[in-house]
Amino acid sequence: MHRFLRLSILLTGLFAAMSSYAADNSQPALTTPDDLGPKIEQPIEFPHNRHAGLRNPNDPTNSDPANGGMEMDCQYCHTYARRSAVAGIPPLQKCIGCHQSIDTVRDKPRIQELFKYWDAKKAVPWKKVHDLPDFVRFNHERHIKRFVEQQNRPTQEACGYCHGDVKNMTVARRSKPLTMGWCASCHEKAHPVTAEGGKAVGKQAYWYSFSKPEKKSGAAEMPNEVKAQGPNDCWQCHK
Amino acid sequence: MIDSGFDRRDFLKVLGWGGTAVALSGCGNTSIENGKETVVSYVEAADYVIPGVGVYYNTTCAQCDAGCNINGRVREGRVLKLEGNPDSVINRGKTCGLGQAGVQHHYNPDRVREPLLRKGSTGEAISWEQAYALIAEKLNGVKGEEIAFLSGNVSGHFKVLLGNYLDSLDSNNHFVYEALAPAVMRASSKKAYGVEMPRYNIDKAKVVLSFGADFLGTWISPVHFSQQYAQFRKGVDGQRGVLIQVESKMSLTGANADRWLAIRPGTEGILALGIINALGTATGAVASLAKEYGRARVSKETGVAPGQIDKIAALLKLHSPSLVLAGSAVEGYAHGSQNAAAIHLLNQVLGNIGKTIEAAPVVPFPQMAPSTGKTAALKALAGGLNSGKYKVLFNYGANPVFTAPGAMNFKSSMAKASFKVAFAHYLDETALEADLVLPLDSALEDWGTQVPEYMAGGVQINIQQPLMEKLHAGTRGAGDILLSLIKQRRPDEYKSYEDYYAYLRGAMLQNKGALGGAGMDDDTFWNDALTKGIITLKGAAVSLSGTAGAGDLRLPTSAEGDAQYPLHLIPGITPNLRDGRQANQPWLQESPDPLTTIVWDSWVEIHPKKAAELGIVEGDLVEVTSRTGSIKAQAYLFPGIYPEAISIPVGRGHEAMGRYAKGYGVNPFQILDEVYDEETGELAMNETRVKISKVGQRVLVVKDEGAAGGKQMGKKIAVRVSTDEVDLSEEV
Repeated sequence: MHRFLRLSILLTGLFAAMSSYAADNSQPALTTPDDLGPKIEQPIEFPHNRHAGLRNPNDPTNSDPANGGMEMDCQYCHTYARRSAVAGIPPLQKCIGCHQSIDTVRDKPRIQELFKYWDAKKAVPWKKVHDLPDFVRFNHERHIKRFVEQQNRPTQEACGYCHGDVKNMTVARRSKPLTMGWCASCHEKAHPVTAEGGKAVGKQAYWYSFSKPEKKSGAAEMPNEVKAQGPNDCWQCHK
Repeated sequence: MIDSGFDRRDFLKVLGWGGTAVALSGCGNTSIENGKETVVSYVEAADYVIPGVGVYYNTTCAQCDAGCNINGRVREGRVLKLEGNPDSVINRGKTCGLGQAGVQHHYNPDRVREPLLRKGSTGEAISWEQAYALIAEKLNGVKGEEIAFLSGNVSGHFKVLLGNYLDSLDSNNHFVYEALAPAVMRASSKKAYGVEMPRYNIDKAKVVLSFGADFLGTWISPVHFSQQYAQFRKGVDGQRGVLIQVESKMSLTGANADRWLAIRPGTEGILALGIINALGTATGAVASLAKEYGRARVSKETGVAPGQIDKIAALLKLHSPSLVLAGSAVEGYAHGSQNAAAIHLLNQVLGNIGKTIEAAPVVPFPQMAPSTGKTAALKALAGGLNSGKYKVLFNYGANPVFTAPGAMNFKSSMAKASFKVAFAHYLDETALEADLVLPLDSALEDWGTQVPEYMAGGVQINIQQPLMEKLHAGTRGAGDILLSLIKQRRPDEYKSYEDYYAYLRGAMLQNKGALGGAGMDDDTFWNDALTKGIITLKGAAVSLSGTAGAGDLRLPTSAEGDAQYPLHLIPGITPNLRDGRQANQPWLQESPDPLTTIVWDSWVEIHPKKAAELGIVEGDLVEVTSRTGSIKAQAYLFPGIYPEAISIPVGRGHEAMGRYAKGYGVNPFQILDEVYDEETGELAMNETRVKISKVGQRVLVVKDEGAAGGKQMGKKIAVRVSTDEVDLSEEV
């Protein structure tokens, strides 16, 4: 009986392994040599370039959808990014709020599709573009607070560090690797963290190829830089 | 229990091959779901909803009747976590394991989702209109006295509405039943102190002598008492309180006691009188009664060493005030009331009344005060059903087919009613016997008010409010169902209330002044109540009498079992499962029992000496037989039990109630004899005598504790003597 059970467990396991391996092969590659993510088909081909792209100086009325955008701030639609760890997807209400009064594009197929969802009160089933493994917790709010609110950098630049040049894309596509080494490469070179006691320190983090702070000769303890609540704790992302 | 055929070698083999299989599947990156997983946005988002940020709402825990105030974290419209409400005087921001598992009641996959009508042995889904029409049709021509309503504890506006509904049916037959209610204690407290549920100040006592009151685990309001206990241990005037626990089967509280004494089952009252005698401070009739209970006699009858009686008396004399508690373990005998009375008398002799035992304020709205459950009510109902008195039976919040003593055979009594309606969250044993099942909203989806029976502070009314949208469109709130039913009888009176929410709001606003909202406008008052989740009131103060005296106190001499059934059966009440209504919450099944660390299964606790005598070792399957029936379970050797008794925990052994409850363990309620307390008519839970025999199979007991029986693999880390070598009665 048990011999039979063991055999069946094994066979099931091997079958699951083979089939998931086969299934994996049909998936697009997760990382490409040029760091581009897979091309993702969305239910509505949302034109980021039209909304966030730079204005065409030769077209003051902004009437040509193929050339030039409206320079909208990312945060106008992605409003949760500055308030929460997750950026969220704008509610459908947000799209309709403007589009119900833009008659010129009302009969365009994409807009008609959009209103179909709205009339049915159904959410648009967007597909994820920038996904992280479940064991990584990235906090949007902290990054927006730091770069946009404290350092006054343009939103598009700050978002672009991770999301790439979205203003020139239609449907967004991942253009950075979003791996741990890639995160660390930024944090290591340009992320001075204020330690407890207000002392600014560089090279504070000591995990994963970061350099360990040097212990002063004769000091009993490590310098307090180590205690800094920066992204130098594993816990900050892996909680 | 698991069969031990699958040994370590096999396990390692499977692990190895399984690991290879996993490696082959290349699961390294599969949690990234770019382009695969859908991110669903809101169609319309409320202003306060931010994805990833929690919103907290206050409500009331419905896992037991203690009435702890809780708040739930709601994120993206889903309730994720329940914690205590810090402003509550009952639980002060804390919850117990049962409370934590409340989300599993809500998200349980086995909830009933639409009204079900019996078709032979199966249920057919029908609409609510059909269900209500069917009830109206079945009630047509049935006299009020032929209708019975069985419920668990009810209070607040639901109780008011239920009373009005029964009134509209011209029926007085409301049976309130709780399997594990401290009903004998209520009756005896009423006699001794003048109130049914006094307030205990464990934190003000210097010595607590508890006769089987598991106040840290299962008794009345355990979260509240646990906090009092923490204060008691910190001590009054820097003097750490001493806890002495006397019981036949060790409880969680017993495990925490400074001194734990095993007592012959049912002789707690005798020990109490023996202590009164040893104290020597009583006068009059009490003294002359106590005089009969000399040290030698008491020791012989209770099995407690004479030296221990003197030690307890000396300790009680030395430290005042003290507190003596009569817990559920002393109630479960034919002389349960007498047992409790003797213990209350000890409090009176010690002068604790008014110091560590106080009267709780009285609820100013008597119609909302809790109707508390009794097992005597079930007996009366079963009697009525058997005689054919009741034709229609409603059931809400009770599961008597599971919890009634086996000897009562409630299932066959219930079958005698021609139409049975069950308000149910799950298809439990009782709902399965019903003709019509009405699916309820979970406690986290429903509106309500609750008045706790044990008032920790002033009088309070707890608000229950939905934490999220309903999971299943076909369920209804219990109050909504009742309102729809009462509209059938009194349409004019109730037509202005669209739903139970409207009724609740209307009723509260009507009494706004008395509820502390005088001068507030309606919305402010209502929103304030919902925000806080608690309405605190001034209750009328009462004082305790405490002059009961010896009265007609008679205690039978202790009786061992007869030759045929030599052992006492003590149904164990565990903090995880209580009476078994939450057995389908897997967190509670998988969290180890605090004393034995066993998970997902039942066990038979046997004293190692007794086990040696019977040739039983841990894991032996044993058959426990009473006059009523027999059950089989794995043996667990446990020194914390009187040697002539065995204990099987209640709560497991469901035959229905979904995937997490059905088929796990055994149900000792099934083999309980029908013995009742002579004074109150309550079921005497501990009066069943049993015999025990080996089945001949042995299983591996699945438990957290190490295989060496708590010896920590021979290493003496925390204890100096392994538990099976300790004579617990000699400690401290």
